[in-house]
Amino acid sequence: MPESHIAVGKSLQRIDGVAKVTGSAKYAADIKLENMLHAKLLRSPHAHAKVKRIDTSAAQKLTGVRAFATILEVPKVIEYWFSLRTEEKKKQMFLRDNIVRFVGDPVLAVAADDQQTLDQALSLVKVEYESLPALHDPFKAMEETDVKIHSRGNVAFKVKKVYGDIQAGFNNADIIIDNTYRTSKQKHAALEPFGTCVAHYQANGKLTVYSSTQLPHWSRHYLAGALELPLNRVRVIKPHTGGSFGGRCGLIHGLEVMCAWLSRRTGRPVRMAFTREEDFIATETRHPMTISMKTGATRDGLITANEVEIVSDVGGYGTHYIGVIADCLSTGVGLYKIPNYSFSATAVFTNKSLCGALRGYGNPQMNFAQESQMDIIAEKLRMDPLELRLKNYRRLGEIDPVLNEEIRSNGLQECLEKGAKSSGWQKKRHPTPIKGTRKRGIGLSVMLHGTGAGKALPDPAAATVMINADGSVNLVTAAADEGQGNRTVLAQIASETLGIEFDKISVSETDTETTPLDCGTHGSRQAYSGGLAVKAAATEARKKLLAYAKKELGINEAQLRIKEGRVFEAENPANKIRISDLMRKTQIEDMSVCEQVIGSAAGVAPAMPGYYGAIFAEVEVDIETGEVNVLKLTTAFDVGRAINPGLVEGQITGGAVMGMGFALTENLLLNDGQILNGSFADYRLLRACDVPEIVPIIVESNEPTGPYGAKGIGEGCMVNVASAISNAICHATGVRLTDLCMTPESILQGLTRR
Amino acid sequence: MTKVDIKIHVNGDWYELAVNPGERLIDVLRDRLDLSGTKEGCGEGECGACTVNLDGQAVLSCLILAAQADGCTILTIEGLQKGLELHPLQKAFVGESAVQCGFCTPGMIMTAKALLNNEAEPDENSIRKHLSNNLCRCTGYDRPVKAVLKAAQDIKEDSNA
Repeated sequence: MPESHIAVGKSLQRIDGVAKVTGSAKYAADIKLENMLHAKLLRSPHAHAKVKRIDTSAAQKLTGVRAFATILEVPKVIEYWFSLRTEEKKKQMFLRDNIVRFVGDPVLAVAADDQQTLDQALSLVKVEYESLPALHDPFKAMEETDVKIHSRGNVAFKVKKVYGDIQAGFNNADIIIDNTYRTSKQKHAALEPFGTCVAHYQANGKLTVYSSTQLPHWSRHYLAGALELPLNRVRVIKPHTGGSFGGRCGLIHGLEVMCAWLSRRTGRPVRMAFTREEDFIATETRHPMTISMKTGATRDGLITANEVEIVSDVGGYGTHYIGVIADCLSTGVGLYKIPNYSFSATAVFTNKSLCGALRGYGNPQMNFAQESQMDIIAEKLRMDPLELRLKNYRRLGEIDPVLNEEIRSNGLQECLEKGAKSSGWQKKRHPTPIKGTRKRGIGLSVMLHGTGAGKALPDPAAATVMINADGSVNLVTAAADEGQGNRTVLAQIASETLGIEFDKISVSETDTETTPLDCGTHGSRQAYSGGLAVKAAATEARKKLLAYAKKELGINEAQLRIKEGRVFEAENPANKIRISDLMRKTQIEDMSVCEQVIGSAAGVAPAMPGYYGAIFAEVEVDIETGEVNVLKLTTAFDVGRAINPGLVEGQITGGAVMGMGFALTENLLLNDGQILNGSFADYRLLRACDVPEIVPIIVESNEPTGPYGAKGIGEGCMVNVASAISNAICHATGVRLTDLCMTPESILQGLTRR
Repeated sequence: MTKVDIKIHVNGDWYELAVNPGERLIDVLRDRLDLSGTKEGCGEGECGACTVNLDGQAVLSCLILAAQADGCTILTIEGLQKGLELHPLQKAFVGESAVQCGFCTPGMIMTAKALLNNEAEPDENSIRKHLSNNLCRCTGYDRPVKAVLKAAQDIKEDSNA
């Protein structure tokens, strides 16, 4: 008999939908506090310089100028929450010095009564710089010893991991291919610019910051650390957020801490809002990587060895540079069963805008190299690329050597089979040649991405479920919804577990003052990690509810069911009580009890399950112009269990388009550290008319550790778009591209070389 | 600074304001009239998040000076619903899961509203063309296009009923 669900597996409407379509949803820039000041940053015009002197005397005389704060006094946050684990590590998170490390690096902030005064004040500030040699190329920076971008040198992180015997692996190979891939500097380009907050330091010594953060609790830790305040004196409230994609994992460089400092100095609320240009030039981007990959395979298509060398360009400051490389390792080693694997990587500081987390973390870069290699091998062996993947992927029950975890669910084969069928892979792979200049091709690629952080990063999750006297429910969680709909998904899990209808569940605001410690939203974790916490909290609440019902109905809990607002006896549904009557009685009516049913849970998820996907891209390439027209993307993803299929499809289609941008149009270009295309006019995001038909296919492999079988989706759905498109371009034209993004010029150059 | 006196009709009400010559329409809407549903995504006329309707046409409120709107009728996202009753476009955007982060949503809906003013039954191509004025980083555009199709159909059925 099929399970009957009241909320799980249903495409229920998102809980914040009406607020968002009526304009009543408040984002950070919509928050106005009484007596509020406005603030703005003065940014460095130099890629690398020492700040010798800051003269604010002329600006201070302007009417309406209220306060200044400079980098000499206000610390920058230069690490991520991995460093919160020990006091010693934590100290290294905060940097106060007089060096600017990229064009756009903040030097000073000013607070004033209005915007016009701010601009005037900044024009009157005099900063004396001593220019330092700037390093733009990570390969040069890693060798350079005289010029140090940070005091510890230019190499931010270096790692080498070897599994098996790499030389033996190549000795056993019949073919070996060796290529170098380069990936672009992609920008999040969330529609709400990064860098809007309001900070209010009150006279009672309490700081409240409205910030569009993905990680409210870690933001609180960072602010408390930077301002040397006790945690309970810092309150972070996350309003509605206009997209994050990894770029709001904590604090924005130069934003919240500066703002809080100005508020402490003036005793007034201070708002700072970056312009779109500031978002482009001075907030995090994806790490550009150079990936050399040498892969060996037998004649039968078994991969015997993979040797990977990565140089990752961190920019002037790094937060996630270790995690991003760890992700290259875990997804690279995890996806295929390659017995001999050598992985080395170097993350290097350069005098470019800073890099951090962006949807997919290091996986889109690694996947582009890996999945290009797989197609090249398939071609050399005259093997169906699909068959090559099926032959090598790491199967259910195997141990992932990086995570040291058993693979408990893996729907990759089903993704490939369903995607192949839906896209017409077999037929389109062997097309009848067409005359003319427009060549058609189809390509595929697969991916693995982790759900949550597992044991790699502190990853707490927590939730509280409270049943009210009228039978309605409050779910309290710090799960930050950046637009994915995770608060809706968590409400569905609470509803399902309690047996109380979805429309009776209300989800709390995202406020560190009133919610328990949760890592926040990153790593495709909320449906899984957050979902597990909500399920555990709701299970506890349900138990307490049934214990009261047992007293009332004289029936053991095992015989009781919950449905449509009532608790009743399974065998005799007429023996029943309304939840509202029961809860009113225990909370209010029976004065000897007066207990609200509350369930709470806190802790960490037991695993970091991988989720899988296969993308089939169909393209048409004009060999005269090099123009690529993506005709269709068929995207099959194993999400374990889709708690809300509509929201999952929303992630898949959105991820597909972001991946298309990564493949074809998106790259921040720099000249001497100066970003050349820092606007929507010049940095080309895809628009509605550029987007092909996208067919999302949901595969459900039922992850045994997940809530109702769920695992992640948010990041992985953009990971393998570029590799699928590249493989399709190669199928259409024979041109193998190794650099992102794949421009018409690069295709024409490839055609000329052939 | 010399102020400019203007009179604008916004969401059904007349407002008389003295604005700065350089003040943009979006600033008047957001800062003076507290209509913060209109969003600023770029301030350069590229993203479409600030789209409102001016005399029934879609315009970018970040590129129009408030003084230019003198005497005009302006409709923002806040003026679309009738009391508690959502406009068919609003209903369809929720119902068709066309909303994710929601930051581009008011602009998209106002673009669609102007389209439906001019073209009662737009086909998918026409909708895609018009929604191409609005950047969205979350949805991949598929659902918003479907939502506008659905709304057009609902409006037609309503008027036939």
